[in-house]
Amino acid sequence: MIALTAAQRQMHGALVDPAGRAAQALFATDGRLGPAEGLAVYQRGYFLRIAACMREQFPALCHALGRTLFDDFVADYIRDCPPERHTLYDLGRRFPEWMEANRPDPQAREAWVDFMIDLARFEYSVFTMFDAEGNEGRPFATADTDDAALRLQPAFALGSYGFPVAGYYHAVRRSEAPLLPLPAPCHIALVRSDYVTRTVPLSEPQHGFLAAMLAGSGVEAALANVSARYGLDSGEVDRMWRGAQGSRERWIEWNFFVAAIV
Amino acid sequence: MLAGLPRLGLGLGLRSVHFDAILSGERQDLWFEAISENFMDSGGRPRAIIRAIAERYPVVLHGVSLSIGSTDPLDRAYLASLKRLADEVRPAWVSDHLCWTGVGGHNSHDLLPMPLTEESLSHVAARVRQVQDVLERPLILENPSSYVRFAQSTMDEPAFLRALADRTGCGLLLDVNNVYVSCFNAGTDPVAYLDAFPCDRVVQMHLAGHQDFGTHLIDTHDRPVRPEVWELFRIAWARTGGASTLLEWDDHIPGFDDCLTELRKAEGYMAGEALPFAAGGAAPCQEAISNPVGFIVPRAMDMLEDAA
Repeated sequence: MIALTAAQRQMHGALVDPAGRAAQALFATDGRLGPAEGLAVYQRGYFLRIAACMREQFPALCHALGRTLFDDFVADYIRDCPPERHTLYDLGRRFPEWMEANRPDPQAREAWVDFMIDLARFEYSVFTMFDAEGNEGRPFATADTDDAALRLQPAFALGSYGFPVAGYYHAVRRSEAPLLPLPAPCHIALVRSDYVTRTVPLSEPQHGFLAAMLAGSGVEAALANVSARYGLDSGEVDRMWRGAQGSRERWIEWNFFVAAIV
Repeated sequence: MLAGLPRLGLGLGLRSVHFDAILSGERQDLWFEAISENFMDSGGRPRAIIRAIAERYPVVLHGVSLSIGSTDPLDRAYLASLKRLADEVRPAWVSDHLCWTGVGGHNSHDLLPMPLTEESLSHVAARVRQVQDVLERPLILENPSSYVRFAQSTMDEPAFLRALADRTGCGLLLDVNNVYVSCFNAGTDPVAYLDAFPCDRVVQMHLAGHQDFGTHLIDTHDRPVRPEVWELFRIAWARTGGASTLLEWDDHIPGFDDCLTELRKAEGYMAGEALPFAAGGAAPCQEAISNPVGFIVPRAMDMLEDAA
């Protein structure tokens, strides 16, 4: 298998580094398409195929950067982080971290770069939520479910960002041409039901409450956590949860929760 | 192992842009080929869709990532996931390509050609047997489109596939468009390719469109089937005794009805008619991709609501 292994390594190397020409020697020269031209079809295809998939995973980031710059980032990204897994869904997994490690402003950080990295993180979360294990086909909690039985449903995620990334993302989705937003702390829940993902803006205490539940706390413990962490008395926390403007009713309506057997 | 596999008639590649049309419309005399990787790791809508479609239509699973020819170890997690999907969907068969997709732990997401040597044959045959043991069904392998041929090859593709089928009992998926594209690029005769192909092993055929760059062809799956490919199909249909035939359309995908119209053109060729050639099709584009896979990545943005 030595020859086969060597041939595959050499050809794959030529895809990842198109400047390498040694692989041309692997191929027959008597075809209509010569070795260099034939190899070039694979080399072009390698980048174009992955760039097309990355644009599907990061449509708002592509909009924000413009396609040329986005494609340049992708070319550098796959040079540093060649795809490893069989699934195309995994292509963008390391992209936000790669962007952070390769930011163009390492000396004096610029806000637009921070925004692009935040947007990449948000978009990959949305993309992941699309196909995550969910609760479709099974019952969700209702208004009558006891607090002690409320648990977050499986297709649920939280994110904290330095920019209002969800607003920008939705504007792109509506085919608007949003300006890059100014920095502003932003907490977002992603929750999916009936295969539609809803983005829900959260206050910091709401985020803290849901983070505690995501870590395994029940409602009572999560409320106590918020009370201690944000210096809120029990009345304020209770109003935040079940008051007229509280979260409980709306979040149950949006299928944040399932009912555990307690 | 292949004798019990059904003749399904005409089918269409299952693409997400057609999901709603398929499930909301009248049931048709049709079958679907689902890209395995679109569904095997899914916990969301795609998995629910494939279940619903499999309840109404015959379905086969077609993979692009098995990498049967790679010298990397077989991906056991991938195989286990594929087996779970197959057990759930109960496809008529499971197919992939005679190719490798990566090496050294990396994945190109392309269908890369094999050196056609005795060494490769032994390697692939051993792996086909392992895959068939895991899946508990015959594997069906497709001839890929190719743009290079390895100088070290000692046999042609039909001879390689014939020997592979003989050694393993696997079936073959004859992609007629790939035959035309590969032969054009190699400067060889596609009819001679069919003459040498083990047509008795063909379980399924593929049709697709390609782009013509004059000096070479690229297997883009983004336009109607070319007349020269229809003519090859007419020959192949007769020689395979009417193998199940499927149209692939993977980029610039038209509406469901338009795809069906293109697919139904096959009926004339199946009847043995030598139909007049249509005019040559749209001009090639700069960013032509062989075996496009962008359609496999779901448009998560389309399944979103803003609660702000």
